[in-house]
Amino acid sequence: MNKKSFTPYFFVGPHLILFAIFILLPTIYGIYASFTQWNLMNDPVWVGFDNYKTILFNSDSTFYTQFKNGLKNTLLFVVLTVPILIVIPLMIAVALEHKKVKMKGFMQSILYIPGLISISAAALIWSLIFNKQLGITGNIFGSTVAWAANQPYAWITIIVLTIWGGVGGNMIIYRASINGVSKDLYEAAEIDGAGPIRKFSSITLPSIRFPLIYTFVMTTAGAFNVFGQPLMMTDGGPRQSTHVLMMYIRQLAFGHGESIAGMASAMAVLLGLVILVISALQYYVMNRNAS
Amino acid sequence: MVKKISISKYLAYLFLIVLCVIWAVPVLFGITTSFRSQAEVVSSGFRLLPVNWIMDNYTTILGNTSTAPILRWLMNSLFIATAHTFLVIVVISLTGYGYSRMNFKGRDTLFFTLLGISFFPGVVNLIPSYKIIDALGWVNTAWAMIIPGLAGMGNIFLVRQFMKGIPNELDESARVDGAGDFKIYASVILPLIKPVLIVCGLFSFIGSWNDFLWPVIVYTDVDKMPVTAGLLLLQDIYGNYRMIGQLMGSAILAMIPTFILFLFAQKHFLQSINLNSGIKG
Repeated sequence: MNKKSFTPYFFVGPHLILFAIFILLPTIYGIYASFTQWNLMNDPVWVGFDNYKTILFNSDSTFYTQFKNGLKNTLLFVVLTVPILIVIPLMIAVALEHKKVKMKGFMQSILYIPGLISISAAALIWSLIFNKQLGITGNIFGSTVAWAANQPYAWITIIVLTIWGGVGGNMIIYRASINGVSKDLYEAAEIDGAGPIRKFSSITLPSIRFPLIYTFVMTTAGAFNVFGQPLMMTDGGPRQSTHVLMMYIRQLAFGHGESIAGMASAMAVLLGLVILVISALQYYVMNRNAS
Repeated sequence: MVKKISISKYLAYLFLIVLCVIWAVPVLFGITTSFRSQAEVVSSGFRLLPVNWIMDNYTTILGNTSTAPILRWLMNSLFIATAHTFLVIVVISLTGYGYSRMNFKGRDTLFFTLLGISFFPGVVNLIPSYKIIDALGWVNTAWAMIIPGLAGMGNIFLVRQFMKGIPNELDESARVDGAGDFKIYASVILPLIKPVLIVCGLFSFIGSWNDFLWPVIVYTDVDKMPVTAGLLLLQDIYGNYRMIGQLMGSAILAMIPTFILFLFAQKHFLQSINLNSGIKG
């Protein structure tokens, strides 16, 4: 089998081409476009750091205001949802691992299914729940506010929808990991007289350290890309207070009127950098604290 | 000691049952509302069960084939997700074989370079991806959603990892019997990696079916779009909660396919991440 063969290219070649066209090329072009003025139709015109200067420093520009507002709202979304998307699935996993609890499979399915529902379908249903005249908040809890149009309710609708659809994935990961922790450890701890809280903090948590870091980093990175929930639930309102960065990027590049794709690309690169830095930081800090 | 266990048991039950109720009610409410008339919804407000069960909402939405052709959308989604899933399985099994079983120069360097690049946040390539799809003439076609996702590295990483767990002796004995790489791929490796392919396939299907940002960008033609993008139009078409039954019926129809898939493949969905965490942990 000494002959030089082309067989490896048959196996990895097709994907390599796909990778070049749909990941490598657009990533490079996206970075390049952020230094240009571009309307998606004509060739981009190089403008150096102008887009970045406008977005970051020119407080008279609407792009500056949009970026600041979009990033602020995106960060708010991340801070409000990520901790809940870690803690609730962890609590569910622990509760489901309780020896005496029955119907585990059934309850797990109920909690998992919303994750399989598309964001647009889920948002239609939750909008009805939060509807002033027709929904549950109005009729059962007697709330008379239009939730999507008033703060803090607008954020609550977005967060509830996100949590509802988002706990399933992490729940499965935690369950599988907790299941993998050796039962001997728990038995030994019980003999030493450790209570449930003690067992959780000194056995369960350290044992599932890697899945915790993994889910924390992935959930955060995902949350930074938030788009569908605010678009469907509030359309960015009231007064742009739930307008996230991804919505501005889409609006500038693909909205009505002439595309401002260069500026949108610069915002996208900045968002990408924020995600990269925060992921790296999370990984570094958690890994260090854990060891 | 006995008492302690029962208190924690009741706490666990209480927590789980409350959550399950909160989790289930919206979907049930959506389903039952889709069988109520608008007059009933407006006059009696929130009720879990309809007074009169009616099918009118469904006949109306299925009858609307111009502004909101939901059956067309569902067929588009079904075609896109199925074709995408099939191609994902072909690509990841071939590529995974290449990166774990073939020997060529710089194999692992290449693999980890691609993996590293793919970690770069996807938001950066969104706008140029549109331009590329446009240049290929794929805007408003199914290809726009079927092909680009095949370039991803996540599933290939999983398949490669899984293949590394398969002992090399198996291929070697096949090679002694005169089998080439294609033969080994097709008759030795493929059957053995079925579990990981099923899981990747299911998640690719769900991911494709539920994708939202991308279809909202690449489809403007109402007849060509998948159902997730279509539902975005509905809030306008079924008038901002003036036709609630129709809105809910449409949302429910959009959920049915993934729900059926879950019912049939439940165990793969729920055990799947074992594989993930096994690798990460």
